[in-house]
Amino acid sequence: MKHLEDKITQATTLELLEKVRIELFGKKGAIASEFAKLKDVPGPEKKAFAEGLNKNKTKLQKFYDEKYEILKKEEIEKILQSEAIDVSLYGNLESKGALHPVMATMDKIIDYFVALNFAIEDGPKIEDDFHNFEALNLPKNHPARDMQDTFFCGDGAVLRTHTSPVQIRTMLKQKPPIRMIAPGAVFRKDYDITHTPMFHQVEGLVVDDKGEVSFANLKSIMSDFLHYMFGEVEIRFRPSFFPFTEPSAEVDISCIFCEAKGCRICSHTGWLEVLGCGIVDSNVFEAVEYKNMSGYAFGLGVERFAMLLHKIPDLRMLFEGDRRLLEQFR
Amino acid sequence: MIVTRTWLNTFIDMRKVSDDKLYKTLNAIGLEVDSIKTYTIPPKVVVGELISCEKHPNADKLNICQIDIGGEIKQIVCGASNVVHAKYLAVATIGAKLGDDFEIKHAELRGVKSEGMVCSASELGLPALGDGILILDETIGKLKLGEELNNYKKLADTVIEIELTANRGDCLSIYGIARDLSAALQLSFKAVEYESQNLEKIGLARVAELKTPLPIKGSLKYVMADIEHICKSLIISIRLAFIGEQTVTILEDVTKYVTHTTGVILRAYKTRNFLLKEEDKISITASTKDAITTIKANGQDFSILGVSQNEDAKADDKTVKVLFEASYINPDILVNAVAEQSLKTDKLYYNTSRGSEPCLDIGITYLISLLERHSGCNFFDGSLSVEEEIEDYIITVKDTEVSGIIGKKIETIEMVKILSSLGFAIQSSSEDLFAVTVPPFRHDILNIQDITEEIVRIIGIDNIESKALRFTEKQRINETTIRYHARKALRIRATANGFDESISYAFSDKTLLQKYRFSLVKEELDIINPITEDFNTLRSTILVNLLIASKRNVSYSQKAIALFEMGTVFDTKRQEKEMFSLIFSGQKEGENISNAGKPQLINFETFTKKLSAIIGNFQLRSCTQHNALLHPYQSADIIIDNKVCGFMSKLHPTVASEFDLADTFIAEISFDALIPSHINATAISNFQGVYKDLSLVIDKNIPYHQIATSIERLELKLLKKYFPVDIYEDASLENKKSLTVRLFIQSLTGTLEDKDSETITSTIIETLQEQYGATLR
Repeated sequence: MKHLEDKITQATTLELLEKVRIELFGKKGAIASEFAKLKDVPGPEKKAFAEGLNKNKTKLQKFYDEKYEILKKEEIEKILQSEAIDVSLYGNLESKGALHPVMATMDKIIDYFVALNFAIEDGPKIEDDFHNFEALNLPKNHPARDMQDTFFCGDGAVLRTHTSPVQIRTMLKQKPPIRMIAPGAVFRKDYDITHTPMFHQVEGLVVDDKGEVSFANLKSIMSDFLHYMFGEVEIRFRPSFFPFTEPSAEVDISCIFCEAKGCRICSHTGWLEVLGCGIVDSNVFEAVEYKNMSGYAFGLGVERFAMLLHKIPDLRMLFEGDRRLLEQFR
Repeated sequence: MIVTRTWLNTFIDMRKVSDDKLYKTLNAIGLEVDSIKTYTIPPKVVVGELISCEKHPNADKLNICQIDIGGEIKQIVCGASNVVHAKYLAVATIGAKLGDDFEIKHAELRGVKSEGMVCSASELGLPALGDGILILDETIGKLKLGEELNNYKKLADTVIEIELTANRGDCLSIYGIARDLSAALQLSFKAVEYESQNLEKIGLARVAELKTPLPIKGSLKYVMADIEHICKSLIISIRLAFIGEQTVTILEDVTKYVTHTTGVILRAYKTRNFLLKEEDKISITASTKDAITTIKANGQDFSILGVSQNEDAKADDKTVKVLFEASYINPDILVNAVAEQSLKTDKLYYNTSRGSEPCLDIGITYLISLLERHSGCNFFDGSLSVEEEIEDYIITVKDTEVSGIIGKKIETIEMVKILSSLGFAIQSSSEDLFAVTVPPFRHDILNIQDITEEIVRIIGIDNIESKALRFTEKQRINETTIRYHARKALRIRATANGFDESISYAFSDKTLLQKYRFSLVKEELDIINPITEDFNTLRSTILVNLLIASKRNVSYSQKAIALFEMGTVFDTKRQEKEMFSLIFSGQKEGENISNAGKPQLINFETFTKKLSAIIGNFQLRSCTQHNALLHPYQSADIIIDNKVCGFMSKLHPTVASEFDLADTFIAEISFDALIPSHINATAISNFQGVYKDLSLVIDKNIPYHQIATSIERLELKLLKKYFPVDIYEDASLENKKSLTVRLFIQSLTGTLEDKDSETITSTIIETLQEQYGATLR
């Protein structure tokens, strides 16, 4: 027995072990030849002899199995080792692109309002005077038209100067109650460090029966929205003026660059202006022939949000497809 | 609009209002503070009185001054020429620090001792006030020799710049802002009062008359003064400097100052030499046509009310008899008329068009008090005036409606108090209704929402608690929302395939579009006032913008440029269309370990694979587009659902070199075609199918899609799919090529028999043989 066990022990590879297996357990192997001796064993001893043999066979088999497992493991380990690579070489293969930070910011803004069951609405980029100005309580020669330098087309059409005309289109097309946002590109004839001739806005409008929608409601959603966008910031509402809302407010957040201590970006005021909002002016409802309604509206510039959120230093860079900027957002 | 603390103090007592409180209050009431700056004059700069002044013996330009600085006479050498006119001046004494490294020390100038320095305004950190030293006078307060100048707060003032909204013309003056502040801070408002001390006065009516044959639009008031001498006063100079106004003549400075202080529009006119030949009477007439009021005097053009003044009639510092005109006209009427008649306007029109102060007396009284107190002026007794009769504008206010808009219960008594303090007259008619008479200076207040805004401003938005809106649920997923989600999914797939998202202006350069043979928006529909020549038309493709962006990236040494943009393009009729455009230029991947730092350039196959991973299944056909970006032999129409919806191409090498680009591929596809359509599942077969390869020898010029179309038309039920797997050409095939198409044949209802697949292959071969002379290889 001992010498048989030694044979198993001495096998160093699965190949050698297989040879030993045939030598021991094969048809002409050592075990078989032991069993062959059984026929020569006298009758009364046969049983004991057979039992002894079986016991030895089982023991040897177990010994073999154990050895097999060990060698199998070693073999796999060898294969694994042979396949070793330096994984650290393969990081950053740069196969992914990036969403544009302005578009990604717009997505983030849209996500918020869609989660609150606002519908997304859209309108043409080329607008007429009625939708872009007149219906929004911006009659001709109104000084507030000066705030929006306008691109004109030969036939008197304008490139929309804000997303607000979508409010008018939606109110004309649908019936209240309305809860909508209108994201998209707008155009103003202005081109310097802080202005580009095209930029993006997100407009919002909520309309319901008279007395249903109040300034307090507007304040509530704007505060919540700005906390969602900018985290734990202070929020300040300042009365302001927009022709299409009344009362109107501009909303500031505490400066996220200097923690409201005052810096160049917040012009040392500690505050950053981020959006405008207000209660829909009754003249706007009149223009779309809505009676006994109340509503609020708001509008914001997406580029400004993106620049503040991601600390992007230069506005114009956003429109140049500059990979040095874009690749940072992968 | 710029105000200063002490200037506001003319009308309200600012002593108990800190700068911080002032800043917060202005912002809270809708007068946004752009900047706030307090001027500080360094310590040891004191008031001095010039006792004597003589020329320096060794220097022409220097003067030796003996200056009393309060019980002590100092000898100071001064180089400014205007020192000889001075009485009181700003003296920096020994030890005063005028800058980080500029301390006044004992000095000797060309042998003469000098114990200090006589300062100019800018040397003290104040805005510059012309050449020479700062000459003090008592308009900044009673001057006390030796007193530190920083204690004169009218000099060391706090200057606040306010960004005024377009509706608040009433706040284009110190008076208007003080009026708003008095309501917000509950401070009493000081009226402008002045009693002339001059007793010998001639009645104005004896020398002038004002006639209006018909009622006119607007109000006018005239006063006249004999001006013996007109003095420059420090308070006017420094305050005009604070508000960034250039000084012109002393007289114009004074009227400008009065307008900025009171909001009343003032203009000054010559009389003698211009109107009066001898000692005639001045006869002024005013008449209105098409909302424009024209004023003439003795037949000469005088002014257009609220718009402009005849330059020849303008008084200057030499004018002895000056006629002052105060005017007001409702801006809502004026601006339309001015625009329609394209009238030339002067600087004051900005104020008139936004709403100047209608109470002309305030301006006139303030003007008279300034000129009579500080200059040698004597005003004629009385004035000439005409006032437009305007009916009171009354708004009926229901208190519950105001509270409803705000979302907070505001007590009637509080509303009344706020409105009264803002100058509104209130009449209570019943318990919850009251009538509000809008003061004439608030032409912007037209309805209950405007009234509500006034109340919100004064109670402060901070004092309105946020309240969530209760609303009725409604299904709001519309077409636009679905398009948005489709667009976002597409954008994300594009980034997953290595493209960076780009955005560019919806404009293009007309010459570039023409050069590359893209369509142009019809001339009459195009932009007429482009911002630059590079953006002089509405774009009809995004690709040119992407090429420009790629070129820019190349200049930043980028070797692999993959960009996409979703945006609007415009056809010749200016119809808008949303396009999805892509560009891939240069190396097909980054330099890295997997390509030994030498990646291959992008090619047709790789670009098409990327496109497919982004937009899903499509077919390619020979290109039917005609723009000049296309490579004639590597371009294709993109077909989805049997419709051409865009194209892809290798960039024409000529164009590539124009943009400094290596091998480049482009694609532009209509977004409408990329919105996923509804899909119904088809039955799945449980029986085994077989693949068969057909190697056909066909004419070299026959594109694969013709073969595919022929197979498609056979409508073979068992043929589940087929696709090209190999193409082979060599000399032995001459004008032919070998195309291998792999067929997949499967039945939905049973196991395939050999004859089934044989029928299919033979049908296909026969057809192709007939149509294209195809043979089996």
